[in-house]
Amino acid sequence: MNSSVDEMARLLADYNNSDSLIYGIGNVGRQDDGLGWAFIDWLESESICPKAELMRHYQLHLEDADMISYKKQVLFVDASKVPELETFQLENIKPKMDFSFTSHAISVESILATCQTCFDYMPKVQFLTIKGYEWNLQLGLTTKAKQNLKSATDYFEQYINSGVTNE
Amino acid sequence: MSKKLVIDPVTRIEGHGKVTIHLDDNNQVVDAKLHVVEFRGFEKFIQGHPYWEAPMLLQRICGICFVSHHLCGAKALDDMVGVGYSQNTPMLPTAEKMRRLGHYMQQLQSHVTAYFYLIVPEMLFGMDAPPEQRNVLGLVEADPDLVKRVVALRKWGQEGIKAVLGKRMHGISSIPGGVNQNLTIEARDRLLNGEEGLISLDDAIEFAQDGLNLFYNFHEKNRKMVDTFADVPALNMCLVGDDDNVDYYHGKMRIVDKNKEIINELDYHDYLDHFSEATEEWSFMKFPFLKALGREAGAVRVGPLARVNVTKSYSDSTPLAKAALERFHDYTNGKANDKTLHTNWARAIEILHSAEQIKVLLNDPDLQKEQLVLSYDQSMWSGEGIGVVEAPRGTLLHHYRANQEGNITFANLVVATTQNNTVMNRSVRSVAEDYIGGNAEITEGMMNAIEVSIRAYDPCLSCATHAAGQMPLVVSVLDSKGKLVNEFIR
Repeated sequence: MNSSVDEMARLLADYNNSDSLIYGIGNVGRQDDGLGWAFIDWLESESICPKAELMRHYQLHLEDADMISYKKQVLFVDASKVPELETFQLENIKPKMDFSFTSHAISVESILATCQTCFDYMPKVQFLTIKGYEWNLQLGLTTKAKQNLKSATDYFEQYINSGVTNE
Repeated sequence: MSKKLVIDPVTRIEGHGKVTIHLDDNNQVVDAKLHVVEFRGFEKFIQGHPYWEAPMLLQRICGICFVSHHLCGAKALDDMVGVGYSQNTPMLPTAEKMRRLGHYMQQLQSHVTAYFYLIVPEMLFGMDAPPEQRNVLGLVEADPDLVKRVVALRKWGQEGIKAVLGKRMHGISSIPGGVNQNLTIEARDRLLNGEEGLISLDDAIEFAQDGLNLFYNFHEKNRKMVDTFADVPALNMCLVGDDDNVDYYHGKMRIVDKNKEIINELDYHDYLDHFSEATEEWSFMKFPFLKALGREAGAVRVGPLARVNVTKSYSDSTPLAKAALERFHDYTNGKANDKTLHTNWARAIEILHSAEQIKVLLNDPDLQKEQLVLSYDQSMWSGEGIGVVEAPRGTLLHHYRANQEGNITFANLVVATTQNNTVMNRSVRSVAEDYIGGNAEITEGMMNAIEVSIRAYDPCLSCATHAAGQMPLVVSVLDSKGKLVNEFIR
């Protein structure tokens, strides 16, 4: 976890409105690549942020720059392969044209930069990444990925249960 | 000292391929090959699944042309349950028109992706431009208004897919004998008139014309290069209707030669009687060819360039595309066009053609009718079906067999990229000879020219071998003993 996660976790409450989007990225047919969708599943099952728009997609598209231009804030959630990441990370995203585009992949930073350049608007964007381990053609998260997902949801839940969070 | 150049993987295509180029001691090209180095085997793992799952599962081969796979599978299922084209059973009008509408929507958004996101940046900035500039994000910085329009156009296509198939990706609408929903008035009007955040149909047609004009301007400024780049021979194949015009959903398979003489015309159910597939140990992708002509003379090109070569004209109901097609045909004096970069011209025409076809369908009241599925019973079960459609990248075939319990026992997919395997390899060889041969120093731009020749086909190696891809690029230059003498990484 990065150092500012405590502060940002409290902000999950801010997403409980129709101007917010929580966007799970991944493929549930490829094991831990389903972590982004699993986080959305958790929000739905616990009725957290019911007023926010919740979305699941396999990958980001350039059109997502248009979509987020209609939102005040966006939380992207994806699985991570980063070796240094232990469980999960929540970070604020700044626009950056990193020329990562293929028709199968584009970075969150580039989506934000495209939104800023083409639509002259920049929503607040945060990116939650949860560590995954296996990516083969198979349904279901690995045990370790499930533990990381639980670490992330527990972290948000403690604020929800303490009444600091959403309506 | 002879050299071997390797581009591995090729970038901005769907899937994982690599190119090797062998040079002799004088740096002349001895050999050049496009290898497809991935394999997943959807045809195998679908076996044992209930037949009705095939169009749902097999569309997941691809995140771009999934509607084509879905419809191709659906047509095969129509045959299997006894109400398909193999039984000469016409579809109900609403069902056929819904399938066509979804297909044109997908063609529009697929072509827009390939053309504007993957090809136009190179047209505007040049093949020699730095890699970080010659992609769509470079385009965002250089011309944000153009990108804004492109994003709006693709979004409109995706919303159309969602309206017809229920989801932006991998939706399900076709079922054996028909479709499971019609198009609501609300959905129709939303696509026709647009709304906040969604362009109208007329906007889509206007933006499609912008795309065509981009090609005209590029062609005007780079005529010699565009006309001579990978000008390689092949027969041309696509589905045609009774009017001799391309039919993207159903028709006869027509193959024409350079003079547009019909070499062969067949019912696609007889495909196996006419085509064979060669294999090579250096690639997972097969090489289809017409048996009667042999592997070299019988290789066909499919996709946008092949379709505009084969089609006699377009309908009067698509006047803008029809005029654009006439200009295309006039350019080669009515002969078939073998110029690989003209594939992008053809693709731009087809974006416009799709938009105009969508206009015709959205204004057709049949889409709101209630009769959606042909009735059938167990006695009509044939257990075998073949579907063919013109996918964005070309002719796509699905062939299934199932047992009496309804479980799949056999599946064969012949995708457009596989059909284009031979002509893509010819293009690679041609560009290697023209851009690399004779040069002691190989630049990044020269290597990119090889990729440009491949990208013109918008190949989907994921479809062709049924695997997911990775996109970083490593170009290695090896001497005759396999020693690394140079390397490009991006």
